[in-house]
Amino acid sequence: MPRRPMRHRGLVISRPLTFSQFARQSAARVASVYTAKRQMHTAEVLQKSPPNSAGNKSVKNKLKAKKEQSESSSSEEEFDGNVQVDFAFFDPKADDFHGVKTLLQTYLDDKEWDLSGFVDLILEQTTVGSIVKIEDDEDNGIFALVTALNLGRYKDQKCMTEIREFLLKVSQEDVIDDLRSLLGKEAHSVGLLVSQRVTNLPPQLLPPLYDGLFNEVSWATEDEPTEELKNSFRFKFYIIVTKFYKLKTAGQKRKHSVNEEAIIYLKPEDEIFHKLSSWSFEFSLNSPQIAPHELRNYQQTGLVMSVKADKISTFQQQLQSLIEEP
Amino acid sequence: MATRLQFENSCEIGVFSKLSNAYCLVAIGGSESFYSTFEAELADVIPVVKTSIGGTRIIGRLCAGNKNGLLLPHTTTDQELQHLRNSLPDQVVVQRIEEKLSALGNCIACNDHVALTHPDLVRETEEMVADVLGVEVFRNTIATNALVGSFCALSNRGGLVHPHTSVEDLDELSTLLQVPLVAGTVNRGSEVIGAGMTVNDWTAFCGSDTTATEVSVIESVFKLREAQPSAIVDEMRKSLIDSYV
Repeated sequence: MPRRPMRHRGLVISRPLTFSQFARQSAARVASVYTAKRQMHTAEVLQKSPPNSAGNKSVKNKLKAKKEQSESSSSEEEFDGNVQVDFAFFDPKADDFHGVKTLLQTYLDDKEWDLSGFVDLILEQTTVGSIVKIEDDEDNGIFALVTALNLGRYKDQKCMTEIREFLLKVSQEDVIDDLRSLLGKEAHSVGLLVSQRVTNLPPQLLPPLYDGLFNEVSWATEDEPTEELKNSFRFKFYIIVTKFYKLKTAGQKRKHSVNEEAIIYLKPEDEIFHKLSSWSFEFSLNSPQIAPHELRNYQQTGLVMSVKADKISTFQQQLQSLIEEP
Repeated sequence: MATRLQFENSCEIGVFSKLSNAYCLVAIGGSESFYSTFEAELADVIPVVKTSIGGTRIIGRLCAGNKNGLLLPHTTTDQELQHLRNSLPDQVVVQRIEEKLSALGNCIACNDHVALTHPDLVRETEEMVADVLGVEVFRNTIATNALVGSFCALSNRGGLVHPHTSVEDLDELSTLLQVPLVAGTVNRGSEVIGAGMTVNDWTAFCGSDTTATEVSVIESVFKLREAQPSAIVDEMRKSLIDSYV
């Protein structure tokens, strides 16, 4: 069914907080977008801000507080740091190749694999999957990507074989059998949930983004042309590959760090998924880490988890309440 | 012949390597296959040197060079400078320069006879470029972009420039540089040519995303199909002999 792009407002800070290499790269790509938009939107901001200011005040204050920590650039000093931006969700298309590839650079840590093939696979599946871009943007910068790929449908593709190899290689003893069955005999009912974005994407976009994805999955079970394709979207399990920050000094007694959390999730929905997951395991990352000062005690670690499809509605509710809380 | 390869899943070959007619620089790290692809193509002809610049791997964008010399930014450490001086042939002048625009690879595009530079480069730097690289220097932009080193790849036989370069600009640049120029892309539509590929008079290296059409454009504009390295290197043989004794 044809889908109109959904519009969502968001306040975006001009200088993104980047925690990881992929965010830094995508931030570099979109930096030009911010300066272009500034000229276009400063005029509009003055008219738009009265109705929005009440609702967005809390977000604005949070963003202002973070502003001090970001890098300064002399050309933007006269700028107050907030830009009114319209995000829109689009179906994947072939033009998005470079942006999506940049977002997925560190998906399998430092393994050399057929990333281009994987990106092509994502972009060919137009029925399920969304890409977040700015409305009417000349630069075509990709801000976020979400999709679900059926492991069985694509199991013969080179990139999928490499993903399976990688997951089996980094997995732990206790979950390897579960993993093997999901990747092997259950593969036709397993969806690989791929969700990557720039680190500073406004969290208000997340509930509609995930709602959109899961709606598309259920529409696809009715709308796809063949029975086989319809069945390929009847997922029973989702596998998620992601990253989080874990406190480095796990062995030592933490007398001073009562207020330091053991785990910091880069993406808020990962915390919910982790709680709802049937099983999960961590793996250490080989790629060079550049952690900001606040996270110097933390180690970036990979995380793989499996979530049953019937937990998804719970996930959606919990995500909504997590994002809505002040 | 153009070779397709990757550096750690990245197709930006021109970022992690620097190729000229007298030497080839390759970034440290990445897998051995990156280095060995260069070695396989070039080992008999010119030295392939592994290095970092200022502790980083983005050596292709930080330095600018041709068969006469190599210019390094002020962030280069003394050890790196010494390593390069030792590893490169003696007639290649290795010089570290003080220039605020330290990504020399992005600001300078050169072959053995002529160089295009960023319009804001300081006078002294321009003179250094002319002295060390032995070239005639032109300040210009490419498709209104000041980072000339990023948006074109240049050899003595031809050049590939940003796809949005107008026909008039192409003619003007072609006259300045005295080589045929073509506007095109590399790595499946990427406009950043200088970062996506690296080239000399007989071979080129580009990212594995480069389509067959792009490769054929590269091979034709840089005249790589008939190129024989021995013919070109023989001219330099007499001066190279010293370093191999």
